[in-house]
Parts: sequence; C-alpha cells; structure tokens
Amino acid sequence: MTATGDAQDQAAHDHDTRGRAAAPAGAIERRVAAIESLLVEKSLITSDTVDAVVAAYERDIGPLNGARVVARAWADDDYRRRLLADGTAAIGELGYGGAEGEHLVVVENTPEVHNLVVCTLCSCYPWPVLGLPPRWYKSFAYRARAVREPRAVMAEFGTTVPDDVEVRVWDSSAEVRYMVLPLRPPGTDGAAEDQLAALVTRDHMIGVVR
Amino acid sequence: MGGMHGFGHVEPEPGEPVFHAPWEGRTFGLMLVTGAVGLRSGPLRPRIEGLPPAAYLASSYYERWAAAVEVALVDEGTLTADEIEARAATAGPEPTRSEATSPELVAAIPRFLDSPQPTSGVPVDSAFAVGDRVTVRRMAPEAHHRCPRYVRGASGTVTHIAGGWPHPGDDTPEAVCTVRFAMTDLWGDDAEPGHLYIDLWERYLA
Repeated sequence: MTATGDAQDQAAHDHDTRGRAAAPAGAIERRVAAIESLLVEKSLITSDTVDAVVAAYERDIGPLNGARVVARAWADDDYRRRLLADGTAAIGELGYGGAEGEHLVVVENTPEVHNLVVCTLCSCYPWPVLGLPPRWYKSFAYRARAVREPRAVMAEFGTTVPDDVEVRVWDSSAEVRYMVLPLRPPGTDGAAEDQLAALVTRDHMIGVVR
Repeated sequence: MGGMHGFGHVEPEPGEPVFHAPWEGRTFGLMLVTGAVGLRSGPLRPRIEGLPPAAYLASSYYERWAAAVEVALVDEGTLTADEIEARAATAGPEPTRSEATSPELVAAIPRFLDSPQPTSGVPVDSAFAVGDRVTVRRMAPEAHHRCPRYVRGASGTVTHIAGGWPHPGDDTPEAVCTVRFAMTDLWGDDAEPGHLYIDLWERYLA
C-alpha cells in the first residue's frame, strides 16, 4: 500500500465514521492481514479462496443482474407476474440466486405507490441481484432516517415523489430480501431487453430514485 | 437504529467501488471462507450486534465484520487473541500468500454466491392471519433478535405470512409475518404520510 493509498483510506475512513473517533489509519488493515496470514500459515485456508470471493463481487455479482430482471419484467408481462408472485423462483429463472438471495421479494412501483428498501438493524441487501451494498446504504444516516422520513431521504438523491403517491418503506431486517421493480420509463415501447436493462440503476431497485 | 437523530445527511458516492480498500475485500472474503471451511460456526450478526455500542458506532461496516470474524475465530479456538494481537503489532498491510490452492472450493464459491437456491421459508401454521390487527410486544431482549425498537408497542396489520424460519437461536421454523404500519402510528401525528412494512416473527406480536 502506498502513502497515497493510506491517505485515501484515511479519508474514506473519516468519511465513513464522520464525527466519531476512528482507529488509526492502517491499524485495521494490519489486523485483517494478521488474521489472514495466521490462517494461511496454519494451512487452514488458501489465498485463492479469498481472492475468488473478492473477484466474484468486484466482477460478476452486481446491479446489472437486477437490471436484467427488471428489463425482463418490463418486456414480458407473464414474467412480471411470476416475479411479483415468487421473486426467488422468477429471479432463479434468469440464473441468479445464492447467498443473501434465498428469499427474494420484489415490490412493484406503480403510479400510485413508491417503494423504498432499508435495513435498520444491519444492512441486509439482496446480494445476487444488486451486489454488495453501497456505503450510503450501510450508513447510520440511511438506516436511521429511511424509516422515519423517507421523502426527506429520497430528496437527498434528487427524488421527489408526488404527494398523491403512497410511499411504502420495507425494513428488511428478518429473512426476506427486498428489491423494487421500478416504473417502466415512458417512450420505451419496443425497446429490446438490453436497452431496457441499461436504463435501470441500483438506486432504482433500492427505491431512492423513482 | 431506525428513527434515530443526529447522523446527518445520506451521502451517495458517485462511481463508488465495491471495496474501498483491499482490506475490506479480504475481510469480506475471510468472512465467507472461514464459514465455508468450518473454522467458525453460527451467524456473525449476533457478534456484530454484540460489539459494545461505542465501538459499534465508531466502526465502519467492514471494521465491524472484521471484529466479528476475529471474535468468532477466537471463540472457536481457531486462533488465540494473543497471537492475533502479537501478529497485528508487527504485520505489514499485505497478508501472507499461500502456495497451496483449493480448486474445489474456488469452483464451489460461484455456486454458493450466484446460483439459484430456492430455499424460501417453509410453510408453517401461524397464530395470525392476513388482515389481523396486531401489536408488537414491548420487550428488551439482550440476545440477538430482529425486532427493532421503533416498532415495539405499535399496532399494524398483517399483510402477508412470509413463511416459517427459525428465530435466531432456535432450530424450529416459526411464522414470520409481514406487518404494515401507518407512519403516524410509529412517529406521531406530524409523521410523513405513508407506510412501513417489516417482517416480524410471531413471537414479537400480540
């Protein structure tokens, strides 16, 4: 790790635990390295297994999976119905599932309803379709406020939900993981699924963007 | 932390990387791999929530994971606190690399992480039915549970029986009910309009 890297880590760390005492830069890095080194030296694990987990989430498992699910639902009404009836099974049809995706429920935005997902107890999140959560989703601010003032939180993402639309907040603190099926944008009739998927962002599927 | 004040704005980070530093990825990988090879057992969430509150609040997400993995490995006797302490005092930022590899485990990781495993909650009898008006019990459990403080004492309506799952610390499935609350029933008359949905084991409900 370079000095620049350390500085960036420190900045990121300060940002993450803003206003609170933070561990010295590098201390956590050395501690995690110590644990991994001890496990490796005792031949309890091999480095390639940890590499493989990191690579899976950096490379393969991310919000593009969820975007493909949304695009399929927009393009295929039968699929949309299956998705809303049994999210786990319908998402499995596209080949997605696994850790933190064993029990998936998809909630649908409509002209009358807007959905927002949070986990107040930790940061539960549907990994197979959205990847690992962004830092803001794990932040104390989001966990504390999304259930109490969802419209104010969404406004910080530039999202204004009309007053006559019901806001539904889903606190995914138990075993089910939730994902939002966003509204299909107008003017996309006849678009191919790949084109539709390109319109869907992680923030749409969490619900901070409508 | 549902409902707490004082944490400021939510701050999105454009172009955010999956891991902000290599140690975060190593922590996450160690969390999954130590579980997969049986070096620790049981969920880590109780260990994260068991951190002293001041430490919890002063730690980042992956620092909490790292602490929980460390506690679990020590509890299981895989490593000792002393050897971790001693090694951390002298370790560099880069972990030792093994010459050995584990091709079978590496091949199994994508199947575990990214392939359909439809193991949704099992059907169970529930004391409640969709449409029932329920009140969340007042309680102050010390052990790990999934009933946030902000819903305790509030009344709502069962909208769905999600299925049955063992409550943390138990072995047998118990019904988990999705309950809908009016925001005003949680936060008072000046609450934002709208509704809150949350999955609650039926032991939390009356």
